[in-house]
Amino acid sequence: MSTKTEITAVSLAGAFAAALTLLATPASAAMGDEPAGKEKCYGVSLKGQNDCAAGGGTSCAGSSKVDYDGSIWKFVPKGTCETIKTPHGVGSLKPIKS
Amino acid sequence: MPTRSPTLEGEFARALRDPDLPLPGGVIAHTSLRPQKRFAVYRNNVMVGLIGALEARFPATKRIVGADFFTASARIFASAHPPHSPLMMTYGDAFPDFLATFEPAAELPYLADVARLEAARTRAYHAADARPLEPAALAGVEPEALAGLRFVLHPSVEIVASAFPVVAIWAMNGGESEFAELTDWRGEDALISRPMLDVEVRRMPAGARTFLQALGAGQPLGAAAEAALASSPEFDLTINLAALLGGGLAIAVINEALEDS
Amino acid sequence: MRFPSMLPASAGVGFKPQHFAAIAAARQPLGFFEVHAENYMGAGGTPHAQLGFLREHYALSIHGVALSIGSSEPLDRDHLARLRQLCDRYQPESFSEHLAWSSHGGIFFNDLLPLPYTQASLASIIAHVDEAQNALGRRMLLENPATYVRFAQSEIAETAFLREIARATGCGLLLDVNNVFVSARNHGFDASAYIADFPLDLVGEIHLAGHFETVDDAGAPLCIDAHGSPVIDDVLALFDDVVARAGPLPTLIEWDNDAPDWPALRGQALVAQGRLDRAGALRARSAA
Repeated sequence: MSTKTEITAVSLAGAFAAALTLLATPASAAMGDEPAGKEKCYGVSLKGQNDCAAGGGTSCAGSSKVDYDGSIWKFVPKGTCETIKTPHGVGSLKPIKS
Repeated sequence: MPTRSPTLEGEFARALRDPDLPLPGGVIAHTSLRPQKRFAVYRNNVMVGLIGALEARFPATKRIVGADFFTASARIFASAHPPHSPLMMTYGDAFPDFLATFEPAAELPYLADVARLEAARTRAYHAADARPLEPAALAGVEPEALAGLRFVLHPSVEIVASAFPVVAIWAMNGGESEFAELTDWRGEDALISRPMLDVEVRRMPAGARTFLQALGAGQPLGAAAEAALASSPEFDLTINLAALLGGGLAIAVINEALEDS
Repeated sequence: MRFPSMLPASAGVGFKPQHFAAIAAARQPLGFFEVHAENYMGAGGTPHAQLGFLREHYALSIHGVALSIGSSEPLDRDHLARLRQLCDRYQPESFSEHLAWSSHGGIFFNDLLPLPYTQASLASIIAHVDEAQNALGRRMLLENPATYVRFAQSEIAETAFLREIARATGCGLLLDVNNVFVSARNHGFDASAYIADFPLDLVGEIHLAGHFETVDDAGAPLCIDAHGSPVIDDVLALFDDVVARAGPLPTLIEWDNDAPDWPALRGQALVAQGRLDRAGALRARSAA
């Protein structure tokens, strides 16, 4: 072991004991943010699960050529980003270039 | 043993991906010898299916940019990056990196990290099952052996390190928390895990990313804690050990001191 | 002699994960559940926990949607191995796939694509079904497709094509009655004549689903197999025709997109069950 060791066996043991004590305490707040949801017997189907499907037939609309060219791109982000306030303001969120 | 000329199928496949190509030879209908609209159903099924897969996997990302922008960017991505696996659950692993360099999204520099978090959640959802290590398994370890302990992390564990408040932005757009002004705009590291069946997302405290990454790389506890402390003086070993064991992030412990004896 | 399907000759439902809580809470009797194989090819987690529950309490059909068995290219051996693993783990009463292709040149198209019915494609698909059945160690069912175009190269009728595959490989057939209706309307043939030509003695399962109708290049009706609405009466009438001839068969309600809540979806299965019961009673009466 290097003499630069900043965490001694003693402090490690102390942290370990404290952690185990914390875990033995109900409703421990040590975990940082408490995640939503607890274990369930069969789980909860995740929103965001890709589902393979047979017969996902669609109409023939909207199958036109994808002609992406950055200069003629006509879409602008128009979701909740307009309400997310960043240090650079709302709406135009470009970071300030230095 | 190719028993059939592959050219027709290849032509069909190419025409599915490129609407500028003519109908594959021999594709007909009883109503028309050039059934463009009928063939377009297949083209559209393929494209709409891929866009739908991305919408399903990246709902918060979609909410941030809005449906029109998302669909349009997903279409660009799907054209350039068709799936190479029949497992659609893996489709879109490359979407966050695409967004990171997608010029029209440049004004939302945090967007790719939100997508990275969402991609990690789906991987965790499908990750292998493994029973988390019980804290009691460590109760009898000798104090002098602690520094040498190595941990095997749960196969679902992933970290998304961000220069943006990625957890807060994801939580608001993923339906996990109310929309509120982000008064504390600073980088956050997201921990994604699925100790049992539910996918969990946590904001990691200072130094925790270095600590967990070191453990994940097979470093012993003492070295991992030192690296974490070096990365952040605020690193709190007690809290991180409690998170490691209480959060079900570890599935096994290797005590070399015991095995050597 | 009927294809020996292990599924009960009653109505089943295509499982959608959003219905799991309702299904697990009620545990109502149901003929069987069917799942798409590819949704259960992750390593672990909720999908397997839920499928394990279904397996424990219900008869199970695993329905592949991505083997690309109708392709002219070699089968994906890795995918076959995954299917084998899934069937070994869950021991489904039935495994089925489609007369279609979905991969070419290393790209997966995530759709069931049509093939020309020629001697060459017949030889290729017979080899693929043989290979799949050997790899899985079980007989499989092959499903008739819904198609939007046909091929000038085709030289064999679809019913004869399927019959020959089954004869050569020993596989059974999955008769999707909605697909028959959709293809008949799309290609201007008589659905009842198709059913009359179909080798019903080889059918191990029936599919029923919803579709919608639009128009093609010539303004003629074009039906889209969308699995996003109730089974229409015309399809149910064809179904009655099938079970009047063949007797009750395992019958699946496939509602994959915009699926209604569990009671409504189960209601569709009850409708099918009522028709199966009636067909069974009629046959019993005529036999007596």
